[in-house]
Amino acid sequence: MDRIYRVTPQSCIACGKCELACSFAHGSDGRPAQSRIHIFRRGPEAGTPVVCLQCDDAACLAVCPVGALSWNLRTGAIEVSHETCIRCRMCVAACPFGNMHWDEGRHEVAKCDLCGGDPRCVPFCPTGALAWLQPSAAVRPAEPPASGMTGER
Amino acid sequence: MPTLTIDGRRVEAPAGTFLLQACRQAGVPVPTLCEHPAVEPYGGCRLCVVDVTRPEWDGWRKMVVSCLYPVEDGLIVDTRSERVVETRKVVLDLLLARSPRTPLIQRLAREHGIEKTSYEPNPDPTDCILCGLCVRICDRLGHSAIGTADRGAGRVVAPPFHEPPAACVGCLACAEICPTGFIRFESGPGGRRIWNRDFEMVRCPRCGRAHITKAQAEWYGKRMGWPPEEFEVCDACKRREMAAATVTLGSGPKGSAAS
Repeated sequence: MDRIYRVTPQSCIACGKCELACSFAHGSDGRPAQSRIHIFRRGPEAGTPVVCLQCDDAACLAVCPVGALSWNLRTGAIEVSHETCIRCRMCVAACPFGNMHWDEGRHEVAKCDLCGGDPRCVPFCPTGALAWLQPSAAVRPAEPPASGMTGER
Repeated sequence: MPTLTIDGRRVEAPAGTFLLQACRQAGVPVPTLCEHPAVEPYGGCRLCVVDVTRPEWDGWRKMVVSCLYPVEDGLIVDTRSERVVETRKVVLDLLLARSPRTPLIQRLAREHGIEKTSYEPNPDPTDCILCGLCVRICDRLGHSAIGTADRGAGRVVAPPFHEPPAACVGCLACAEICPTGFIRFESGPGGRRIWNRDFEMVRCPRCGRAHITKAQAEWYGKRMGWPPEEFEVCDACKRREMAAATVTLGSGPKGSAAS
């Protein structure tokens, strides 16, 4: 795990390119509804991307009755083995953040798998709100509390 | 690690695994209908038969179901012998007689050179091929709400006494796992119906979407040690709440409304 996926909601302009890239990258016909990253619009040209946090103590992984979810230690993603998955959808109910999806068309659960170590949403993000960084570059200097948005990224 | 020969190739397979996995790891295709990695091997469909022999058996060989035959050092496996091919054809011929209208069986039969069954087709065609996946998955989830009932030609998958099953929570895993789509259900805002049992739905308190059954929420709660109310909010609304929480945590611009 030599990279970190960083989301900076302040930089998101809600263009939706990540949703399109995601749904194309995962073999759908580019329907953003099937994307594993979702943008919630806060107003014109301002959004909050919501995507799997790859939790250390992940509820999805803990509840899976058949061990279909596992860590990919190389990418740091929790991945679903669709061969083993029995479609009980307990993980969908267990994820406290709603980042485990049920794909009604394909009859599969779907989650962010960091595209196997090359997240396709990142190169399409025009503002750098999504970034795939070396751990040293991903750490931001501490900000004074309640500084609000001052233009820095 | 035991070393065996599969179709003339030497293959290593971890001890305690079965021939089917060894074949697949060696890239040798073996057809199956009842196999699933999440459950124990079952040996129900008999499609995965292979021939095995050993040098000291003097040419004697036996046909085994590969999903249930443990790997052994020195074993010689033939997945394409004439009698293996013939046996698979008979299995598919019989399945096609049982389920003449089932696309999965039609396709598999065609792949094995059978266009039409040579037996008397089932006068009452069914999509159920008795692979037992639904029953085993339900067991695996800890409900055991369905099983096989009756015997011989009358054997069916059914809840106990063919009555709406009390142990079912309406999770639909049986219907989703069914390779032929035999298990029917209805699910909508008004409720869910499977195995002739009606389920009351949990409606998301934010958007009103009926996403799981009440029995499912109770089961999840018991399994995870959380109160069943934890499962009321649907995944889309949980994401919306996460987005709103991210904004209120101070990472969003000041004054922008969290939607």
